Amino acid sequence: MLEGLSQFGSAFAGFMTPGTLFNVLWATFLGIVIGALPGLTATMGVALMTTLTFTMGRDQAILVLVCVYVGAIYGGSRSAILLNIPGTPASACSTLDGFPLARQGLAGRAMGISTSGSWLGTLFGIVCVALFTPLLAEAALSFQSYEFFWIGVFGIVIAGTLAGGDPLKGYIAGFLGLWIATIGQEPHYNYHRFAYGWADLSGGIGLLPALVGVFGVAEVLTAMRGPAYRVTSKAVDSILPRLADVWKYKRTIFRSGAIGTFIGVLPGLGEDTAAWSSYAAARRASQEKEKFGKGSVEGLMAAETGESACVPGAIIPVLTLAVPGSAPAAALMAAIMIHDFKPGPMLMIETPQLFYQIVAMLVIADMAKLAFGLTLVRPLLWILLVPRERLMPIIFVLCTVGAFAITQRVFDIYVMLFFGLVGFVMRELKFPMAPLILGLVLGELLEQNLTRGLVISSGSVAPFFTRPVSGVLAAITIFAILWSIPPAQRKIKAGVRGLFGRGRRPA
Amino acid sequence: MSEPEAQSVLPHEAPLPPRVDLVTAAVFFAVGIAIVYASWRMPTFYEQLQQTYTAPGLVPALYGIVIVLLAIWLAARAIGRGALRRGDERTRAPREGYSNLRLALATALCLAFAVGMVGRLTFWLATAIFVFLFILLFEWRKDQPWRERAIRIASAALIGGGTGAAVVLVFTRLFLVRLP
Repeated sequence: MLEGLSQFGSAFAGFMTPGTLFNVLWATFLGIVIGALPGLTATMGVALMTTLTFTMGRDQAILVLVCVYVGAIYGGSRSAILLNIPGTPASACSTLDGFPLARQGLAGRAMGISTSGSWLGTLFGIVCVALFTPLLAEAALSFQSYEFFWIGVFGIVIAGTLAGGDPLKGYIAGFLGLWIATIGQEPHYNYHRFAYGWADLSGGIGLLPALVGVFGVAEVLTAMRGPAYRVTSKAVDSILPRLADVWKYKRTIFRSGAIGTFIGVLPGLGEDTAAWSSYAAARRASQEKEKFGKGSVEGLMAAETGESACVPGAIIPVLTLAVPGSAPAAALMAAIMIHDFKPGPMLMIETPQLFYQIVAMLVIADMAKLAFGLTLVRPLLWILLVPRERLMPIIFVLCTVGAFAITQRVFDIYVMLFFGLVGFVMRELKFPMAPLILGLVLGELLEQNLTRGLVISSGSVAPFFTRPVSGVLAAITIFAILWSIPPAQRKIKAGVRGLFGRGRRPA
Repeated sequence: MSEPEAQSVLPHEAPLPPRVDLVTAAVFFAVGIAIVYASWRMPTFYEQLQQTYTAPGLVPALYGIVIVLLAIWLAARAIGRGALRRGDERTRAPREGYSNLRLALATALCLAFAVGMVGRLTFWLATAIFVFLFILLFEWRKDQPWRERAIRIASAALIGGGTGAAVVLVFTRLFLVRLP
């Protein structure tokens, strides 16, 4: 414990240099701007900045990305409150009560609630990262191929089931992502799969160009197709968070922080699911249910706390299992790997300093977010006034640079374009994109562990089900699939009701 | 398998007409079959390790089979929801403010920049032309007075040139990133 605190202290002190603080300030500000502008998402911001910061020192580069991630998730609430348009998908829930508050002339108070909820949510998540990451990493050290295989499958299924929308389409997107990950040289015989003599394709599909395509290019096209947005409220009252609001809704904050962090830990779900789940839980428990959707302070607080607590939560599985908890965390994980760190159970043994540094980075980013949240109201309003016709071509140019920057292959620009167009069409067809990206990330882990497990067991699938952790993961995965089939779900519910009904009868 | 209505988890998600889902299922069925066929044709390298668990086509074939099964599930669900029923073709109401013309123009401009200009022109020039054309075309109004139009053209040129110069300076000097 004391050694951990001392390592955290030295990591924190290591970042207290003028150059580092300068990076924190511009990166957090950039993140807030990216989050605030409709059409730009946290995933795109982190993916783009990964490519643009890879010549920086690795500590500084990861710090910049953490700041962009934390800032972008918070920034989305600005446009949700002032425009009724979520700046990022994570802020969709904040429009429900944020915008009604702004229309009542309470835009400043809404932003204050958003700032305090978001700050506390991230802080709650950071405490969970610090407490649970070492424990989970230690547990993961005993995992073998069978368990890692099920973690991969569980990630795809749970992301498909809970990422929002249609679970069936989530599964299809997830398995499509897994198949895309098999394109290129395979690990056992260096055979070029699905490349058909195309040298560029033999190298495989890069995660970052695909991410930039799905979350950047597709967003540009969506923004240009949709209606233009207008700032409806330029008059802003005091933005200082009220301590009374925080104290009154302390239970909501605690509950939303816990839900947000837990959803962050689950593979591929992300901040939007965290916000909706926290909001729903707050509504169920609230004494003022009727105010939800009409400008409820509690509702906005719950959504903001939940989505911001999800950010550190999504980093926990990245550090312990090499499985991203959200789409921006997938980009962050790619960046961590590009900078020669190995996320997964061995990270706490080989490079434990990275864990303490990431905790310190999250704390610093959260503080910078609070400072900007209290001061940057007018400049953000001006940024929101930039018409999309002028912003989107610049974003597309940045996407092109970002896709090219790491491997310097024009092929990656074409990959970005392809994924952008496919991502746009799939979104229009209501396919969630998080499982697709998670499939792309988990493809290698899943294939290696499936084949290794089969080789070790001489082709027997029994160990995949009979080992304790494998068995539990398999059961949860199968249950999640059954739950997404309506007739099966009805039967499960009826069965549970019958079971409890019989239990209540007198003997 | 039939259900009265598609369920949506999030409030902002609206279900698609079942016929669209049926067509989507057909596409994914074809994709899945193609994956399985291509995987089947891959060598197994059995002679090297005397086992097939590491055969290159094994895992992609598994994914292909799952995609085919999921596509059949999607198709069956769409049919259950009335995709083949005549006179019950639920179509989505056009969304207010959405324009396919704007989408086509944006797609064409992005493709022209990424495929046509990048690599053929100096990057700053390609960027300047792309940004200039994008702003100009999207802000073009038929009934605009010439003075206002001239101002818009000038500002588009200024933003285009400024973006080209800024991108080159920031990325090559500050981030030390090579440009296409």
